[in-house]
Amino acid sequence: MIKGLLITHGQLGKELIATAETILETKVDLECISLDWTEDGSHMIHKIENYVKKNAENAIIIFTDMFGGSPANICFRFNQENIEIITGINIAGLLKFLTSRNKKVDLKEFARSIKKGATDDINIISEYLGEKSK
Amino acid sequence: MIKESVPIINKLGLHARAAAKLSHLANTFQSEIYLIYNEDRINCKSLLGILTLAASLGNAIAIEIDGQDENEAMTGIIDLFKRKFDEES
Repeated sequence: MIKGLLITHGQLGKELIATAETILETKVDLECISLDWTEDGSHMIHKIENYVKKNAENAIIIFTDMFGGSPANICFRFNQENIEIITGINIAGLLKFLTSRNKKVDLKEFARSIKKGATDDINIISEYLGEKSK
Repeated sequence: MIKESVPIINKLGLHARAAAKLSHLANTFQSEIYLIYNEDRINCKSLLGILTLAASLGNAIAIEIDGQDENEAMTGIIDLFKRKFDEES
């Protein structure tokens, strides 16, 4: 099974996991590292290093909340063969990951499908309904 | 291949938790299962696919199933709709 690590500003990651668990009505195997607003990131790097070391035999997808934010910037250094890093994750992308991670797929292809699930979920309702909102 | 139509009778329609239950159930069957709503036809084994339908209370969904366990799958899925996804008494 592909491992998942969520790295976000503040408590966003924990809330995403709690939301996914409520929707799926089950506990999910997904770890979370939160960037405290007052820290410089060195503590986070150490935690990620430990996670990557612990799961060295697994394929891993690291999710961060926003491209260009500290969690994403910190993760650049972990770009390696068994790891894909996806920025700007939302609940749709996370659900795509959690409901498809057991299928045998290429890691990069899987990451692309998660990105598609996350971005396809962003809609402008007036356009979706085919009319301009007044 | 069998096809049936089922009305959505739970208040919130095919929202996230209902879609999760439906896709989870669909994945327990070998058959290919599709939902057809308006002009969309989606794989019922995909949670996100179900959500794209934005299907609400009072509408009907067509269920299309093809495979060895299609009858069992149809019975189970229609029962889930009838039970209002176990979210209402």
